[in-house]
Amino acid sequence: MIASIKFLGMQRVLTNTDSIDMPINGNTMVSDALQYVRRQYPTLPLEERMILITVNHEAASPDRILKDKDTISFLPLIAGG
Amino acid sequence: MKILRQTKYKPARVLGGYTDRILRVDLGKQEITIQELPPDFKNKYVGGRGYALKLIWDGTTRETHYDSPENILVMSSGPLGNEPAFPGTGKFIVGTISPLTDTFIDSNIGGHFGPILKRAGFDALAVSGISKKDVVILVDGDAQTISIAEAPAYDKEIDDGALSFGERLLKDVNNGELSDSLAAVTAGKGACNARFGIVNSLFFDVRRKRIRSKQAGRGGTGTVMRYKRLRGVVARSSLSVVNGNNAIDKEGVRQAGSKLKAVVSKCDTQQLNLSAWGTTGLSEYMDKFHLFPINNYQYGQSPESPRLFAQVFLDKYFSKKIPDGCYYGCNLACAKGSENVELTRGPKAGKVVNIDGPEYETVGAVSCMGIFDPQFVMEYNWYCDEYGIDTISTGVTISFFMECFQRGFLNADDVGYELTFGNTEAVDRLLHEIADGRGFGKVVGQGIARGKKWVAQKHASRNGTSGDAVMAELNKFGMEVKGLEFSMYITKESLAQQGGYGFALKGPQHDEAWLIFIDQVHKELPTLEDKANALKWFPLIRTWFNATGLCKLPWIDVRNPEAASTAEPSKNLPTLAYYLAYLNATTGSNKTLQDVLDDSERLYVLQKLINLRHGKGTRASDQIPWRAIGPAYFNEYEARAEYYDEWLKQQLGDNKIPASPEQRHELLMKKRVEAYQHLCDIVYEKKGFTSEGIPKHETVEKFGLMDEQAKQMLSQLDVNK
Repeated sequence: MIASIKFLGMQRVLTNTDSIDMPINGNTMVSDALQYVRRQYPTLPLEERMILITVNHEAASPDRILKDKDTISFLPLIAGG
Repeated sequence: MKILRQTKYKPARVLGGYTDRILRVDLGKQEITIQELPPDFKNKYVGGRGYALKLIWDGTTRETHYDSPENILVMSSGPLGNEPAFPGTGKFIVGTISPLTDTFIDSNIGGHFGPILKRAGFDALAVSGISKKDVVILVDGDAQTISIAEAPAYDKEIDDGALSFGERLLKDVNNGELSDSLAAVTAGKGACNARFGIVNSLFFDVRRKRIRSKQAGRGGTGTVMRYKRLRGVVARSSLSVVNGNNAIDKEGVRQAGSKLKAVVSKCDTQQLNLSAWGTTGLSEYMDKFHLFPINNYQYGQSPESPRLFAQVFLDKYFSKKIPDGCYYGCNLACAKGSENVELTRGPKAGKVVNIDGPEYETVGAVSCMGIFDPQFVMEYNWYCDEYGIDTISTGVTISFFMECFQRGFLNADDVGYELTFGNTEAVDRLLHEIADGRGFGKVVGQGIARGKKWVAQKHASRNGTSGDAVMAELNKFGMEVKGLEFSMYITKESLAQQGGYGFALKGPQHDEAWLIFIDQVHKELPTLEDKANALKWFPLIRTWFNATGLCKLPWIDVRNPEAASTAEPSKNLPTLAYYLAYLNATTGSNKTLQDVLDDSERLYVLQKLINLRHGKGTRASDQIPWRAIGPAYFNEYEARAEYYDEWLKQQLGDNKIPASPEQRHELLMKKRVEAYQHLCDIVYEKKGFTSEGIPKHETVEKFGLMDEQAKQMLSQLDVNK
């Protein structure tokens, strides 16, 4: 099974890619995806208190179990100017 | 420059954020008056929007329109709007009776004008009357003079442009030199010909060594300025910008500012990166969540959108890859700009210009017309600023007429050419027609509310159908409320933001409430009660920013990490605590957050009273177009049918979903309309209003606003004790 991690905005620029795939099993959680990205891109700023984690366009908690073809993003906390 | 009237004065010293003086200029009588304010004025009306509201409430009547001599154009900063030790403090408000909404409008604007006006001795400038000839006002704190002068005539090209004229004027009054001791506000020729004219705020940027500009874009404040035949206002003061508010507790200000600067410095680069990208960074996130307006808000996402993402502007246009503020000391510094851009279109093709922007809203206004060309965005941005017209209302109004064309309500004979989505040539032509007040531009320059009537009449007479029936269709996709065009966010999937736009007292501008993400993505507002609470709290705190001379972005768009451990992270309360400390240190007060919210609620209720007086204050005026509530037409439903069917299933259960897509679309819209009406009921109750959206007697009394005018008006509306 595969989950896709999408990079937007500054993350896309820093990683130089739109997305990466991550192999998952039935126990893989959102927090594992976060660790996976941190290992791949150690300089990418991903402090948990400063990002909104979404799975398939909706906010998700770190302990959510991932399913095949889920799309994960780590977004800034947008609140509108 | 020929001086028509001049007064000597002794500038009042700023103390605790205030000078306690308003400069009043009657252009009809050529009178210059300095109004001394009693101490309770600032306690009750705070500054900025509050001052504008009070002057308009007292000085105008229900018969006052934008072009009435007694209409007042108010420019006012606020007690906190002048402090380099704290980020985001250069803002001021331009408030008046609007040519678009026929009620109070205000628009906030950055730059140096508000702070310099204060250092020159005034908390606000209030201009009334209509001059017999074009004039400028000069407020010179150094020479201690206030003058009304005949507007200088340079040459037509310069005189027509808000930016060109302003720059020349600033040089003219300073022996040919640009200086950061001066700033100006101006309006261009487009403001004479369209109802959505803007006020430009021009200042000398010592880092870029050129004049830069920010805009009070919404609601036609520039149109009022030009109707008064006021071409520009220049303020001068050489007093130090340091400790510009002369705070009561300077060390308290320094500490509060240091804390906010530390959060901005640490967090912005990890979040929206406004310091590098400006607000253009939002386009990508809006597109991802179907919030980026495409083809008059029909769609929220397009495969072509990446051509308008931030990196494109950073790589191709933004000439300084550095933080770039619109006032001293702001380390969020999101005011991006470009030098030496060659125009390729319009009457100035070939000219090389400096461009301030684009902001996200301008990018969204262009995508709304179905155009995805970044060079066009830059040129559209420059022409709108130079002409003095609002990039948002211009783009959204053109988009409305494009959809009229798409759906057969207009044809090429009506317009003079094919006005189709994505037709850059047509938009380019129309933009200049609007500014010049010629051709189809004369119609578009009236805005959507008046445009709908024009189209309905034309279509009905051509086809022999009922004008009311045509109007009912146009109301589905004419993206305006109270006469103001929507700003650039799609609200279809966020009930809370539908309220954020519908209840906004000035009309659908996001500076009162922007709840899309916390509602639609974070799911932090699951119940109507949660949404209603947010629709009370956010407009009040945002009102306070507009009353005090502050930019909201360092608070709302840079999340303090400590907010994560609070009950409502989206309120970013740890950062708001710095603002409270800054307020109390500046003014010597000891206010709590609840005190601040109460102060704001007084202003909010006063604005509501003005809306009521002008016929824009009841439930009927809070109704929003179908397009804002859901997929108004079947093509929009079809584009996301799976998503909408899932939404219906969640509302009704699997078994109750109609078989045909057409029935599902119809049912979906019925449910959405019902939900919005329920929201109205609950929000009005929370705000202390009747079910018709009118403030209850006790609500008006609670905030000390029950004067004779309010009493009579509530009585006429059958709102009694």
